[in-house]
Amino acid sequence: MSERTDVDRLTCILCPVGCELEVRRTERGLDVKGHQCENGVGFATEEVLYPKRNLATSVPVKGSETRLVSVRLSDRVPRDMIFPILRVIAGLRPEAPVRRGQVLIADVLGTGVDVIATRTVE
Amino acid sequence: MSGAVPVHDVVVIGGGPAGLAAALGARRAGAEDVLLIERDKRLGGILNQCIHDGFGLFLYNETISGPEYAERLAEEALRAGVRAETGAMVLDLAADRLLRVNARAGYRLLRARSVVLAMGCRERTREMIEIPGTRPAGIFTAGTAQALVNLQNIRVGNEAVILGSGDIGLIMARRLTFEGVAVRGVFELMPWTNGLERNVRQCLMDFGIPLALSSTVVEVRGRDRVESVVVAAVDGSLEPVPGTEREVRCDTLLLSVGLIPENELSKRAGVALSPLTGGAVVDETFMTSVDGIFSCGNVLQIHDVADFASHEGFAAGAAAARFARGELGGGPRVSLAPGREVRYVLPQLVRAGASGFGVNFRTVRPLGKCRVTVTGRRSGKVYVQRKFGRLLPSELQTVRVKPAVEEDLEVACHE
Repeated sequence: MSERTDVDRLTCILCPVGCELEVRRTERGLDVKGHQCENGVGFATEEVLYPKRNLATSVPVKGSETRLVSVRLSDRVPRDMIFPILRVIAGLRPEAPVRRGQVLIADVLGTGVDVIATRTVE
Repeated sequence: MSGAVPVHDVVVIGGGPAGLAAALGARRAGAEDVLLIERDKRLGGILNQCIHDGFGLFLYNETISGPEYAERLAEEALRAGVRAETGAMVLDLAADRLLRVNARAGYRLLRARSVVLAMGCRERTREMIEIPGTRPAGIFTAGTAQALVNLQNIRVGNEAVILGSGDIGLIMARRLTFEGVAVRGVFELMPWTNGLERNVRQCLMDFGIPLALSSTVVEVRGRDRVESVVVAAVDGSLEPVPGTEREVRCDTLLLSVGLIPENELSKRAGVALSPLTGGAVVDETFMTSVDGIFSCGNVLQIHDVADFASHEGFAAGAAAARFARGELGGGPRVSLAPGREVRYVLPQLVRAGASGFGVNFRTVRPLGKCRVTVTGRRSGKVYVQRKFGRLLPSELQTVRVKPAVEEDLEVACHE
């Protein structure tokens, strides 16, 4: 295997300082540079090794193709779960009324995270 | 029509993040009769189509979606006694704060002791940036596409190119990817991105969508529907470089090329506008050049974050309540001007003797480690000095001026 030193540049988004981080993958692990506080290392490690994301989409309310309810996840999930979860949500047709914050799919694909409505449809 | 024109303490025009906050802010500051007028049938403004998360970090200390933010803020405003009238449009506003309104029940006149302008902004269009080529279907502003996809369940196309790296364009690159639309690339005229860093990362890099800086669309091709666009690199003066043209197949072109404050009503009332922001010239209470007319949110200056538009709304609404009670007078004002590396500052005017107010500014270009100063133009006194790790034109920044101000000021950055 050839020596692979991926360098990832990212901006820390934990606080408004916005440190420019340089993350190098080495054989010993991750080497983080550019952080002004220790939180930057944790941020960079998560962002490079197992990034997490939320997702948002809209689904039609049952019996209507034009009345939509927007949905998101109750918390972030590993990034590679985004498309599998979107495929599950694609079949979702909740019945009105839907309340904001209502759980539409609990523990989606065993992630421990729920799909919730983000608006109220009477 | 007969009888006296009804008088309200505070009338807020627009029910988005700024207007809802302004109405709530006016009630909290003691205004009795606060009327909010919203053109759409639903409160929330553009928040309703912004279904992605990232809202509320400053207002609610958690990250929520646009519709949730809108519903929460609207509920708070209504609970606080704000009267909101949806499906009603202000047709005209006069300097004496007489409003002509077309509402569900018909046309009527009303008068306000204070008015808060919160009409938001519009997107720049293809015509405004003059892209040559044919005029086929398939060209949308990013926000229009966002409304079609998120509110009307309409698929806008199969293969898209996005011109401009504004936040809505970046958000739509991800949204279209989720909907199975292939996004061929984002092309940005400037040598830096116009959107927030986190959006470049989460909306483009996550999905391997290429971002080309210093490049633009020079031609649209296709008869009935967009068939391709021609892109080219641009030089230092933003002119296309001959020989760098390349055709990109697509059936959809999204434009995310800037926002313009929507000041039609402000102009009718004679409110002075700034050529730098496109919004009203205001003082530190957000009062415009017309007594008793206040401005906040995207109609005043383009914000990156809805929470900041609301923040401005709360302040403008509170000041409007004070004016309605006769507690906010006029008096001499000093000016606040952009200096080195600063594109604009807001407010542009400050009441002489005022202290403890925020100053917003944007830089001309990206800057590394730098010092921002607010300096007296007569005395050379440094009123504020603050260090920043870096400053981007895409990020609206704030410094606070604490000492009382008696002279004209200048805001400058020193790298």
